[in-house]
Amino acid sequence: MHINYWRELTRSNFGKLGLVLLCLVLVIAIFAPFLARYDPGEPSLSILMPPSFAHLLGTNDIGQDIWSRLLCGAKNTLLVALGVGVFTTLLSTVIGASAALVGGLYDRILMRVIDALIVIPAFIVIILVAAYVLPNVWTLIFLISILTWQGGARLVRAQTLSLKERMSVYAARTFGANKLYLVIRHIIPDLSPILFAVFIHSATRGVFMEAGLAFLGIADISTVSWGLMMHHALRFYYLDVWKWWLIPTGLALSVTIMALVFIGHAFETAMDPRLRKMEQEDWQC
Amino acid sequence: MKNKHVAIVTLLSILLFSLLTGLAIARADSGNTNAGDVTYIIADPTGDWGYPTPHGHYPRGPGYVRMSLIFDTLVWKDTQSFVPALATDWEYLEDENAYLFHLRKGVTWHDGEEFTAEDVAFTYNYVKEHPSWWVDLKSLKQAEVLDEYTVKIYLNERYAPFLNNDAGTLAILPKHIWQDVVDPAEFREPESLIGTGPFKLVDYSKTHGTYLYEVNKDYYRGKPDIDSLKFVKISEEMSATALMRNEVFATAILPETVAEVGAAGFVIINQSGNWNAKLMINHNKAPMSSKEFRHALAYAINRTELVEIAQRGHAIQGSPGLLSPTSPYYNPNIPYYEYDPERAKDILEGQGYQLREDGYYWKEGEVLELELITASRFGFERVAEIIARQLEDIGIKVNLRSLEWKTLDSRVITRQFDLAVSGHGGIGGDPAILNKVILGKFGYSANYTKNDTLNQLLEAQLHEMDEEKRKEMVREIQKVYAEELPALTLYYPTWYWGHDGSVDIYYTLGGIASGIPIPLNKLAFMEYKGQVEAPAPAATEAPVPGFELLISILALTAVAYLVIKRRKD
Repeated sequence: MHINYWRELTRSNFGKLGLVLLCLVLVIAIFAPFLARYDPGEPSLSILMPPSFAHLLGTNDIGQDIWSRLLCGAKNTLLVALGVGVFTTLLSTVIGASAALVGGLYDRILMRVIDALIVIPAFIVIILVAAYVLPNVWTLIFLISILTWQGGARLVRAQTLSLKERMSVYAARTFGANKLYLVIRHIIPDLSPILFAVFIHSATRGVFMEAGLAFLGIADISTVSWGLMMHHALRFYYLDVWKWWLIPTGLALSVTIMALVFIGHAFETAMDPRLRKMEQEDWQC
Repeated sequence: MKNKHVAIVTLLSILLFSLLTGLAIARADSGNTNAGDVTYIIADPTGDWGYPTPHGHYPRGPGYVRMSLIFDTLVWKDTQSFVPALATDWEYLEDENAYLFHLRKGVTWHDGEEFTAEDVAFTYNYVKEHPSWWVDLKSLKQAEVLDEYTVKIYLNERYAPFLNNDAGTLAILPKHIWQDVVDPAEFREPESLIGTGPFKLVDYSKTHGTYLYEVNKDYYRGKPDIDSLKFVKISEEMSATALMRNEVFATAILPETVAEVGAAGFVIINQSGNWNAKLMINHNKAPMSSKEFRHALAYAINRTELVEIAQRGHAIQGSPGLLSPTSPYYNPNIPYYEYDPERAKDILEGQGYQLREDGYYWKEGEVLELELITASRFGFERVAEIIARQLEDIGIKVNLRSLEWKTLDSRVITRQFDLAVSGHGGIGGDPAILNKVILGKFGYSANYTKNDTLNQLLEAQLHEMDEEKRKEMVREIQKVYAEELPALTLYYPTWYWGHDGSVDIYYTLGGIASGIPIPLNKLAFMEYKGQVEAPAPAATEAPVPGFELLISILALTAVAYLVIKRRKD
């Protein structure tokens, strides 16, 4: 199981591409305040202007600079990706691993709860909740995570069940290792590929859901979000503005999602022996 | 295998992206015209406005307009004033507090029966018992038939808006059909659509939101010049394109398309002042319960900026007195609250608020924080965004929230809000609307009854039959209202319609009937000028999916390159 994931990731073209794209979005998010030429929220009298030197991507319906908003939107997107990724992974790990390690009634109850929760359509529930709670970025991260951790928990549980039967764990136990030591030293490190996969998968889903909800108008309208930008841009699709308002925003969103998917895919190949084998066979052809 | 997976993922991403952007180039269904006879086609973004009987249509202007094509009223309006409809003349009998109507002779219902005073008296008494969404006839005491073509309508009390809101709005029903109908809203037999109007309904599709009418050849004003009239459902974004392709004859168009539609040779008509967007203020809750605090809010809001930016110049700046400068009742001599952020700050400081380093005002250890709610219609989200920034600029922390339209209404009605951006129409008609929007408990009403002078003036203007005296009262109402400021009118948007010029559709004085600001007065259809210089289908640049295609090709090329490279390696 002890593979150099970084090497595997960078050896794959898709992994590299994903990393480059993600780094690009990350750089944009970090340096947005320096790259943006205007306050992204400041309305102006230059309304629905086409791209020009002053406004690289033109302006929107209330005269805000689209380029500046696009840059600032990256921060929101990455925040959601990171937030949902971390929170979901944490929930999945705690619940999945504890179910596998404790076992018995606790495990059975948790698994049935997961079975019940997994059928709840997260999108619809969030739309309903948003009617009562201000759907700001933190609320959304919380809601998306709380409604989508079940799949990850199942994966973690299955992997933990397998890990705890490993020879290395038995050996450690015979040498007198206590449960905490086993978990920290043997189980968690070997779970890390799965956790990373859960993280990437959740982050992708988080970005996608946040954008989708904002696109439907379920968002804090005072934040700068790519989904919200597309939501507003669609009101003016009958004008030419969609070329410099809708398309770049859609592209930015697609690039972010693709970057995450590429990384996830490269990683999946690296840690799945079967896929690795096929890859190697491919290599030899 | 791996490459296949990645290619699929990439393609799916492209598909998702194409789907989202593809929405942008979706085209609306087109209407069609039949060669030979003239079917005048009108586009409507909503489509279904209910079954077009007086009790069956939805309680909104477009529903009434669809009904008004089939049914007539006693009096009607054109661009200038009241005009005879089923009544040829009328007079107010002050001593008896009654209106005397002399009816038109020789009018027949669509089924051939003769129209008489019995029908009028029946309708008034029937609607008093079964109020419709549009007319409740609370002012009616009794309707009495004097002879076959004369009817006298007695009122409970003096009621100034009677001619506009009742006689000019209440559709007359045929007694021989409706006399046994117990539940008029559910009466949907074919005979429920028998009226005296210029059109007969041929087809109505709730699902598709279409209405098709044929002309009533026996209409008492003569046969309308067109053969049939059709309403089709077309999204407001696509309306201008449909008009320029000659798929429809008339449609409401978005302000941004006016120049293009006008340049293509179509007639543009517009109207403002009948509808107002306003900032609702919860005057039941501190600190908004203080009149001075409400004044501070008004000084902090730059209404000119709202007009110039949020409405892109297609609006008139709001008057704090509610009525617009286009209204004959407008009072310009009222507190106007021109944008003055310094004055707003002075008022807040006078109320004990202190500006702290965080940029916000604080009082008694609490930050001055207000929630501003709105809905995603009429561009209100953008208006609220700008207001929030303006209030933040002077030191009021604002939590902005967009809700579903009905939730917004319900939060306003139950007073669970601080500030709300909402709006309503009807202010171009009879000033009786003021009572509804100031004292009423609707989602768009100020629900303000704290000022006795205002309450008395509002009640008195309803019963003042002298028009000049009534105008004076309404002007005074605007002054007191502006001083009390239970809500702040932000702007009056300008609505635009475009048409091909074959029928001169027009805006009715003060709106159709009780004040509907839609230029589809049925009298306009009496004259058809023929295919006047049918503007050539405008060479509108179709939103070709060029970008989309280019991006898809680029993405596919990238994937193909990666796959080939991998194979070579």
